[in-house]
Amino acid sequence: MKKKITRRGFLKRSAVAAAAATLPLSLVELSWGKGNPQNFTFAYISDSHLTHIKGTEFVRNFDKGLKKAVTECNFMSPKPDFVVYGGDLAQLGKKEELEHGLEIMSKLRHPVRWVIGEHDFYLDLGRFWEDKISKTTYSFDHKGVHFVVLNSILTYDSWINRWKSPAERMSNMARLDNPNGSPFMVGDRQINWLRKDLAKVSKDTPIVVMSHSPLYKIFKPWNFWTDDAEKVQAVLMPFKKVTVLHGHVHQILYNQIGNITFQAMMSTAWPWPYPISYIQKKHQIPKITVFMNRADPFHERDATGWSILNMEDGRVTNHYKLWENKDRILKYDKRLGYPVDTVYQNPANRIPPQEHY
Amino acid sequence: MKNRFVTVMMVLAIFSMMAQLAKAGQLLPLGLPPVPIPADNPQNPEKIALGKKLFMDKRFSADSTVSCATCHDPAKAFTDGLPIAEGIQKKKGTRNSPTVINAAYYTTQFWDGRAASLEEQAKGPFVNPVEHGLKNYAPIIKIIKKDPEYPTLFKKAFGINPDKITIDHVVKAIAAFERTVIAGDSPFDRYMYGGQKDAMSESAIRGLEIFRTKARCQDCHRIGQTSATFTDNKFHNLGVGFSAIEPRLMEIVEKVRKAKEKGLALDETVLQKREISELGRFVVTLNIEDIGRFKTPTLRNVAVTGPYMHDGSLDTLEEVIELYNQGGEENPMLDSGIRPLKLTEQEKADLLEFLKALTSPEYAPLANKIKK
Amino acid sequence: MKRVLIIVCMTAFIGTGLVGISSADEFTKKDLEKWNKEFMSVVKEGEKLFHSALGSNKVSCDMCHPNASNTHPETYPKFQKQIGKVVALRDMINWCIQNPLEGKPLKLDDPKMIALEAYITYERRGKPLEPGKH
Repeated sequence: MKKKITRRGFLKRSAVAAAAATLPLSLVELSWGKGNPQNFTFAYISDSHLTHIKGTEFVRNFDKGLKKAVTECNFMSPKPDFVVYGGDLAQLGKKEELEHGLEIMSKLRHPVRWVIGEHDFYLDLGRFWEDKISKTTYSFDHKGVHFVVLNSILTYDSWINRWKSPAERMSNMARLDNPNGSPFMVGDRQINWLRKDLAKVSKDTPIVVMSHSPLYKIFKPWNFWTDDAEKVQAVLMPFKKVTVLHGHVHQILYNQIGNITFQAMMSTAWPWPYPISYIQKKHQIPKITVFMNRADPFHERDATGWSILNMEDGRVTNHYKLWENKDRILKYDKRLGYPVDTVYQNPANRIPPQEHY
Repeated sequence: MKNRFVTVMMVLAIFSMMAQLAKAGQLLPLGLPPVPIPADNPQNPEKIALGKKLFMDKRFSADSTVSCATCHDPAKAFTDGLPIAEGIQKKKGTRNSPTVINAAYYTTQFWDGRAASLEEQAKGPFVNPVEHGLKNYAPIIKIIKKDPEYPTLFKKAFGINPDKITIDHVVKAIAAFERTVIAGDSPFDRYMYGGQKDAMSESAIRGLEIFRTKARCQDCHRIGQTSATFTDNKFHNLGVGFSAIEPRLMEIVEKVRKAKEKGLALDETVLQKREISELGRFVVTLNIEDIGRFKTPTLRNVAVTGPYMHDGSLDTLEEVIELYNQGGEENPMLDSGIRPLKLTEQEKADLLEFLKALTSPEYAPLANKIKK
Repeated sequence: MKRVLIIVCMTAFIGTGLVGISSADEFTKKDLEKWNKEFMSVVKEGEKLFHSALGSNKVSCDMCHPNASNTHPETYPKFQKQIGKVVALRDMINWCIQNPLEGKPLKLDDPKMIALEAYITYERRGKPLEPGKH
C-alpha cells in the first residue's frame, strides 16, 4: 500500500505529471490522489515569547527555552524533513525580539516553515514578518501531503483601529485575560483563498493545516478561539484526512470534529493552566483530551517543549517532548476515529499529576 | 598519635551505633524517615553482620588490595577523600565515590542511577576493571566457600548451605549492612525536628532560610516538615565537566547510540571513558534531555564527604556555593532550576554555616580534619 | 432593701434600652454597599499589581496565571513543595515574586500583598475550602 518511491517510479510519475498538465482535471485526480503519501518526520517549535528588557538583554527564561528546542532538534535521529515554527516568536512584536529569535533559529540545521502568531503581528500588523521572515498565508506539498499555513490571529478592524499607538494595541493583544480583547479570526479573504487552494487537491490527499490559534472554539476569555472556525472547518470537511496543528494555548489539547483532527503544540516558554482553572467562566475543552502533567514552577522548563511529528498513513502522530515532565504520544486511532494518548487515554491509566483544578 | 586515637574512637563509635541500630530493629535517628527495605531482603542481625564483614574484605579483588571499604572508608565518612576513585593498582575511574551514609534513601544508585538498588549496585565494582578488577564473581564465591567463617555466617543469615551461595546472597548481605549506615541527629535536625532553638548558630539559622529561598536549594535538596533526606532522587545538569564533551557532543551521542544497539557494557564503559561518563544519565535512558545529568546527592554530612560533584572537581563547599551562585556552568542542557543567585558575601557565609550544621555527631570529629 | 435594688437595676436596664445604647454589630444595607466598594477597590488595585512586572524581569503574574487561574487560594495553608513546609498563600506569592519574577519579596503586611490576595481570592470566589490540597 505504501510504496517506496524508486527512481524509476519517480521518473514515471514525472512523465505522468507532465502529461497530466494537459489532461482534464478528473484524470489528474485519479493518477495523483490514490493514497501515495509517504511516511516522514517533521518537527514543531512554537510560542517562544522572547522578551526584550533593554539593550541586548532579553528575559533569560524564554531565551533558554527556544535555545534548548533548537539544540535538541539538531540532535534528532532520523533528521526531520523540515521544522515548523508555530508563531509567537516575540512577546511584544519588537524588531529586537524578532531579530533575536531569527538569530537563535538560524542555528537549526533543518529548513523552517513559519506560522505567524498574534505577538508577532500586532505591533506593526505583520510588516517585519512578511518582509524578513515569511508569507503569512501559503501552501506547499510534501511527499504526497498538502500543507496549508493560515494567519488565524486576525481580528476586527474596529478593534485594530481603536488604539492610540501600535504599542498600546500590541500590549492589549498580549494580555491573555484582557477584558478589552478581541476574538481571533481567519477572515473571509483567507477562507476564499483556502477554498481555491484546496480545489486543486483531491479529497484523498492528506491535508495538514497549520495556524497559530486553534481552528475551533475552546475558551473565549483567553482567546483559545477562532470566531469563524465553523466556516474554516466547512471548507476542510470534504477531505478524508485533515489535521490541524496549532500553538497559542501552551498546553496539550486535542479534538476531533468530523474528519478534522486538531492537535495543540507546546510552548518553549511557559505552560498555561487549563481553562477549568478559571471557574467564573464556562469552557469547551474537548472531552477526549488527557491533560498534561502539572508543572513545578521551580523548574522553569517544566511542561514546556516541542514536538516530533510523524506522518503515518496520512495522519500525524505527535511525540511531545515535554521537558522535565512526561513525554506524551498522540496517535490517531482508526477504529475510534479520533486521536488518543497512547498511554493515558484509558481513564484507568490516569495518574495524579494529570489532575488539574 | 592523637589523630589515630581519634580515628579509632570514631570508628568504634560508628560501629557501636550501627550495632545498636541492628539490635534495636533500627531506631531512627532524628530527622530521618523510615529506611525503605525491599520485600525480598528483610533485615536480620546476622545478615547485617555478614554484610559488614564482606564490605571490609579485601580478598574480593584481583590483587587482594581492594574492598568496598577502600573507596567507602568508614573512617572517612564512607568515602575516600579523593576527587576520583582509585581501584586496584591505583587505577583511576571517572567519578567521585559517593558516601554510603544514607544511600539507603536513594531510589537508584550510582551518579547516573544505572543500578536500581543497593543490591544491584554492589555487583558492579567487583567486576569493573578499574575497581576490584575481577573477571567474574567466581573467585568471590570460591573464597567464601573455603573460608573458615563465611559458610556458617551465610547459613545463619540466609538459612542456606554453602553450595547454594551465589553473588546475590553476597550483595543482599552487603545491602542489608548498608541499610544500617544511616545518620541524622545533626545540629540542623535538633533545631528543625527536635525543637532545640539553640542547636544551630544564628548564622546557620539564617543559612537555612537562604537554603529555602534565595539560594533555591530546597526543590532538589529536599527538607520536609517532619524529616529530610536532602535529595529529590532526580537527575540534574549543572554543567560541571560539560565543557569536556561539548565540542564533540553530537559525535559522542551517536557513538553511544550505536554502541547501545550492539549491547554496550554500561558499568565498565562509564568508568573508563571520560567522555561517556560525562554524558551522565543519558547513557542509561538515551533520552536527549538527560545529557549531562547526575543524581542529586544527599547533603547530610556534606562537610566531611568532599571533594564534590560527580567528578570530584570542587574541593571545598565555598567553591560549590560559588558554582551555584554563578548559575552553574552554562551549557545547552543546563537544568532549568539553575540560575545566577546574586548572593551577598554574608548570605554565602550563612549558607556555608548551615551546610556544616548537617554533620551527624558520629562524623563530627572529621570536620576538624578538613583543610580549607 | 433587696426590693429597691432590683427595681433600680431593672430601671437602668430598661432605661438603657429606651435610650438606644447598643453594643451589637449593627449595620445597614448602605454600610454593606460601602464596605463592598472598599473591598472591590482593593481587588482592583490587586488586579493592577497582578498584571504588572513585580520583579526585575518583565514577567507579570498574569502571564502564567490568566485571571489568577491555577493559584488555588482555597488550598492554603498547605505543604508547599517548593518551600519545604506548610505555608500560607502570601508565602507562595513571595516565592513567585522571588523566583520566576526574579524580584524582592514583599513584607507580609504590605498593602500590596493584601491587594494581591484580594484579587486572587476574588477571581476564585465560590470555590469551597480545601486546605492542604496539593
